Order: sequence, then structure tokens, then C-alpha cells
Amino acid sequence: MKAIYSFASLLLLSFTTLMSSSLYAANQAGLDAEIEELKSEVVELNRELFDLEEKLLYPATTSFAVFVSMDEVEDFIVRSVKLNLDQQDVTSHLYSKEQVDALRRGGIQKIFSSNLKPGVHKLTAEILGVDRDGRAMKRVVVADFGKARSSKYLEVKIRNNPNQSKPDFAIVEWK
Amino acid sequence: MFWFWIKTWILVLAVSSVSYAEDLLPDERRAKKQDALYGQALFSLHSGEYDKALSLNSAIRKRGNRGYGKVLDIQAATAQLGLGMSRSATKQFQSLISDKRISFLPAKARAQAWFYLAKHFYTKGMWVTALKGIRKVDAVSLNPDLKDEYHFLAATLELFKGNSKNADTHIVSINKDSKWAAYAFLNLAVNYTEKDIHISKVEAVFNQALLLSKNTKTPEALADKIHLMAGQFFFATGRGRSAISHLKSVGLDSAYTPKALLTYGWALTEQWQYHDALQPWYMLKTAHSQLNQDVQETLIAIPHLLEKLNAKVMALGAFDYATEQYDEVYEKLGQSAARLNTGKFIEPLLSQQIPDKWGAFTPIDLSLPDHPDKVYLKDVMSRGQFQGELKSLRDLHVMRYKLNEAINHLDAFKLTAETRKKEYQDVKRERLVITHSQHLAKLKKRYKALNARIKKAFKNPAGHGLASDTEKDQMALFVDVTKSIKSLSASRNIKSEHYEKRLRRVGGVLKWNLSERYSDRKKQVSKSLALLQREIKRTTDQLDAAKFAYQVAPKTYKGFDKRIAKLKTKYQKELKKLELVYHKQRERVGGIVKADIKTRQERVMDYQLQARLAAARLFDETSNKVRSVATGEVRQ
Repeated sequence: MKAIYSFASLLLLSFTTLMSSSLYAANQAGLDAEIEELKSEVVELNRELFDLEEKLLYPATTSFAVFVSMDEVEDFIVRSVKLNLDQQDVTSHLYSKEQVDALRRGGIQKIFSSNLKPGVHKLTAEILGVDRDGRAMKRVVVADFGKARSSKYLEVKIRNNPNQSKPDFAIVEWK
Repeated sequence: MFWFWIKTWILVLAVSSVSYAEDLLPDERRAKKQDALYGQALFSLHSGEYDKALSLNSAIRKRGNRGYGKVLDIQAATAQLGLGMSRSATKQFQSLISDKRISFLPAKARAQAWFYLAKHFYTKGMWVTALKGIRKVDAVSLNPDLKDEYHFLAATLELFKGNSKNADTHIVSINKDSKWAAYAFLNLAVNYTEKDIHISKVEAVFNQALLLSKNTKTPEALADKIHLMAGQFFFATGRGRSAISHLKSVGLDSAYTPKALLTYGWALTEQWQYHDALQPWYMLKTAHSQLNQDVQETLIAIPHLLEKLNAKVMALGAFDYATEQYDEVYEKLGQSAARLNTGKFIEPLLSQQIPDKWGAFTPIDLSLPDHPDKVYLKDVMSRGQFQGELKSLRDLHVMRYKLNEAINHLDAFKLTAETRKKEYQDVKRERLVITHSQHLAKLKKRYKALNARIKKAFKNPAGHGLASDTEKDQMALFVDVTKSIKSLSASRNIKSEHYEKRLRRVGGVLKWNLSERYSDRKKQVSKSLALLQREIKRTTDQLDAAKFAYQVAPKTYKGFDKRIAKLKTKYQKELKKLELVYHKQRERVGGIVKADIKTRQERVMDYQLQARLAAARLFDETSNKVRSVATGEVRQ
């Protein structure tokens, strides 16, 4: 009888141990899933916030934005871009190695967004960088543009120039 | 047992070199179109802002895919991997690649998806699943930039499975100038150490890895790692001299120095070079913190060595010193545990993390200046499990910051909407647009009148319209005199040639003056008129713009109140949820640290016990010697 009791208690102990360890593992997995779910929800909330921000702060009638893009330019590494709108410095950005790579791989950076009244405006972009030999390069591109009662997007483009070893810089209006 | 731990450690070292890949996604599709959302999503993704990339990706989907096909899915999965959402990413990848239709997913994208999925499982330590994935990669379709990494992964996984031939094929395919070649040879060497392969071959592979290490980003660090691994292997297999030559090559300021110095000392001890062995151990003891586990081992190894050198009194002193040190270490570890409970350990570390940087590929900033736990932290962080858990906690911490920031933004948005509403009502109340319209209408009327007058003035090209009062009098007089002369000459038959000549001269002078002035004035008037017209047009445009703004102004604030309030509630709810999860994860991290501290304390206790016993034995031996000498003297 004593042997049966001890066997039963041993069985119960091993069962409890097994259960508690599997419960612990399930808890751990559950927490991981909770964290992931939370991340997913935060991302979704951020999308809603982004949407709201775009609509509230930059209404379609006055919205103005400047983007920066770069082709797979081999002989130029952009270091910074400074924007001047209607004789006023509005923004500047220093690029990290990853961001330069992101531009090269087809990414477009929204460097400036604001509201702009209808009329004629002038945008100046000062682009600093280094060429293939590590020499500093500075280019200034200017664009006079008209703003009507709809959103206006401009793009500072750094393009390959097949005829020269230096890239082309331009400000392009989005249609 | 010792060899098992050595092998495990070697494996951890070998794997850790590739655990943090910087690059996740190949160039699948550039943002060639003028699509702001897609371009920004791509920019965020490639620059490592995975949360932003995911939000933008979701925004693109909501707006409508616009022909991006499965690219968006791949990008979403990649961003999820980057954020550490491995479950969702795995699900996404698997659904992408399970469909075999070529049109559904191009071969290039499919190869890349398999590659990243395999890599994901590999970094997670699920090597069997990773091998299945990597075998499905079509190497021909894979982006050339990823091929070396692919062969490295495949070779490592095949080695793990024991398929040496397949592994060899992959290793041979790696470009020798690539960093992956060095890692592949290192893994091959590790694999050789586990098998009964001739020592010369193992050494040759280690040497090849050393040779290729120059192609990596941190050649010195990798060379140190290889030397340490080779040294530990040769020491464990009883080849002391080979071990010594490798261990001597490890730099003195590297992350591997303590382990190398410790093993170097043991290797010299095995070669009976006791004096020489003391040197690296003393170096280790003096240059590194007592919390370092290698230092702790050295503390007890030194007195044993002194005992071997028959410097028993010195050994006794060293044992006493070790005992004191172990006491201190035990106490310090206890203090760390106390700080853990009072929020003075993990929390300061979290508060210094960059608020925008999170996700699986963002390392934790471990610098804790002037903090008592900084040495322990670096030591414990070398363990993969703790790193993963701490990263999750850091992510939650960053998310909390982001949620709070978003709530602040929403408050600011609310203020903006309220300000706009107020401005609109002010404008409405003051009837500014109407006043301006009336003013402009008056201006236009005046312009019209002025224009009529000007037209009248310039009607006669002779310039009569521009004559001054005196000139007008003179002209009237001239007409009168001409009439008088004509009537006089007709009635009295007087010859008036002389007068007529004089009159013509006067008339000529008058006309000349007027015509001269006409052209000058016309130029001036046209200029002024043009200016006035421009001014009126500008004012009209402004008024139109103001009218338009007045019309659309309500749209810039109406309806936002509810949306802002709804979103704020969602954020607050999320924040509450996050707090719960954060506390659970904090408990988990705390639990790991506590368990680790306990293990370390037990180890220290064990060392201390050994040191005390050895000291007691040594004390006994030395005092027995004195006693026997004394007894001998008495007998004499």
C-alpha cells in the first residue's frame, strides 16, 4: 500500500512538474505574441495618425512638399541638403550612410512639408556631398514655381549624367 | 563536460558574427513613379525606420495598391522582421512563397523571400527549418549581392546537418574577397573540431579563416576571435604549444582578451611553465574587473600555481586575498540584485536608449557611465537570450515613448483645429472678405474712370488733350487771332501774308510742344497704368484666394474633433495595454538577471569554499612542517 502511495505521489509530482514547465513555456510564448500584437497595433495607430496629420496640417489646397531622390549615382555621395524658400531657410538634413543607401535604392525622402499660399515662389536647394575621389562638392539649384489652389510637390533630383563624370542636379515639379 | 562548454561557446561565437544583418531587402522595385507614399516607404525601409515603413506600407494598401503587386507584401514582411515581429513576418513570407505560380511572384522575388525566411530562422536558432528554406533558394535568380551570404548560410546549415559535401560545394562558391568566406571557413573549422579530423587540417582551416579575415569590416576583432577559438580548441585537445601560439596572438585590448589570458595561463600550466603562467593571470587580475568571471577563476588559480611553485606562504596570502575578493564580488552581485528590484539597474539603461531606434536590428546602447552594474551588464549581455529579452523590453519602452508622443501630437492637432475655427469665426464676424471686396470694387471703379479720362486725353494724337490751361488759352487765342486776321483780310482787302506766316510759326511751336509731350506722357501713363493694372490684378487674386480660403476654411477643422478624440482614446487604451505587457516583460528580464546573479553567486561561493579549504589545508601543512621541525629539534 505504501509503495502504491509513493508511486502515485511520484507520478503526481512528475505530472505537476511537467504541467508547470509547459505552462511556463506557454506563458513565455503568450507574452511574445502579446508584444508582437502590440507592435502591430502601434504601427496601425501610427498610420492613422500619419493620415490625420496629412489631412489636418497640410490640407490639399495649401499643401506643399519637397522630396529628395537620387539615381544609382556612383560618383557622388550626398552629405546634406539645405532648402531656402522665398529667401528664408526652411530646413536642412544631414544624411547617414543608411539614408544615402536608401536614396540610391530608390527611396524618396520627404525633406520638407508645409502650407503655401497661391502665387509665385522661389525654392533654392543647396546640396553638399563628396565625389568619387572624396573631394567636397557643392551645388545650388533654383526653381521659380507657381502655386495654385491645389497641392504642389517638388523633387530635388540627383541624376546620372552619362556625358560627364559628375551627376546632374535639378528641381522637378510633380504633375 | 568542459569540452562541451568550449564547443558551445565556439558555436555561439561563430553564430553571433552574423546575427545582426544590416541589410534586409534587395532592390525589388525603385520608386520611379512620382508616388510619394511608395517612395517614402522605400526610403524608411532601407534606412532602417521599420515602424515608419510599415505605417506607410499600410497607408499604400489603404489607398489602393496601384500595381505594386507582391512587392508590398515582401516589404511589409521585411519591415516586420526588422521590428522583431517574427511571427507575422514568417506568416507573411510563408504565404508569399507557398504559391508556386510564377506570375504570382517573380522568380527573383521568390528566391529572395526564401533567402530571408531562411536567414530569419537561422538567426532565431531554428536551423533545421532554416536549412529547408535555404534549400529552396534558386541561386540563379538570387540578387548577386546576396549570393555570397547565401552560400555562407547554406554551408553553415549543411555543416550543422552533417552534410560536409554539400557544405564544401557552397564554401567553394563563395567569392574569396567576400567577408562571408572568412566566416564560412571559421564555421568549417568549428565543424572540424567536432569531428575526428586530423589536427593539421583543422589548423589549416583556422589559418585560412585568419587569412580571409582581412576582408571583413573588423579584421582585428575577427582575427582575435579566430585565435581564441583555435587556442581553446588546441588547449582542450592537449596541444598546448599550438594553443599557446594562437592565444599569444590575441590583442591585449580586445573583447576576447580576458578569456585568452585565462586559457593562455592554463596552457602554460599544462606545459609546466608555472612562472610564465603567472604573468597572464596577474595581467588579467589587474586589468579587469573582479566581476569578470575569468578574473574570478584567476583569483583561485594563482594561489594554486604559487603552491605548485612551493611558495606556500605567498599562496596562503593569495588564498586569503581571493576569499576577500569573493566576498566583495558576492556582495556586489547582491547589490546588483537589490538595484534590479528598486529600478536602479534596468531602468537607467532603458532611459538612455535613443527614443526613435527600436527593432531586432537596433543594438542596445550598453554604455552606463559611472554605474556600478556596467561591467556585469556587458558580461551578461553577451548571452543571446538576455539580449533578445532586453531588446523586447527596450522596444516596449520606445513604444511607450512613441505612444505618449502621439498623444501630445493629438493634443497639438486639437489646438490647431480649435485655432482655425476661431480664426474663421473672427473673419466671419469682421466681414473682412466683404469689406475687402467693396474696397476692391471701388478701386476698380476708380480705375475705370481714370482710364476713360486718359483715353479722352490721348484721343487726339496732336496732343490737344494734354494741353495745360495756359496752352489751352493760347490755342483759343490762336484760333481767335487766325479768325480775326482772316476776316480783316477779307473785309478790308489787307495782305496778311506776314501775319499768317507769323501765326503758322506760333502754331507750329505750340503743336511741336504738345506732340513732344504727348509721346513722353503716353509712355509714362502706359507704365503707370500697367502698374495699376498689375496691382489691381494682385489684389483681385488675393481677394479671390481669401474668398477661396474662406470657403474651404471650415473643411480644415470641421470633423477633426471627433477623429482626434477617437484616436486619442485608442492611443490611451494602447498605452494601458502596453503598461501591462511592459511589466510582464520587465519581470521576465528581471527573472533572467536574478537567476544569472544567483548562478554567479553560487559559483563565487564555490570558489570561495575551495579557496578557504585550500587555505586551511595549506595552513595546516605549513604549521605541521613547523611542528615537525620543532619536534625534530627536541628529539635531537
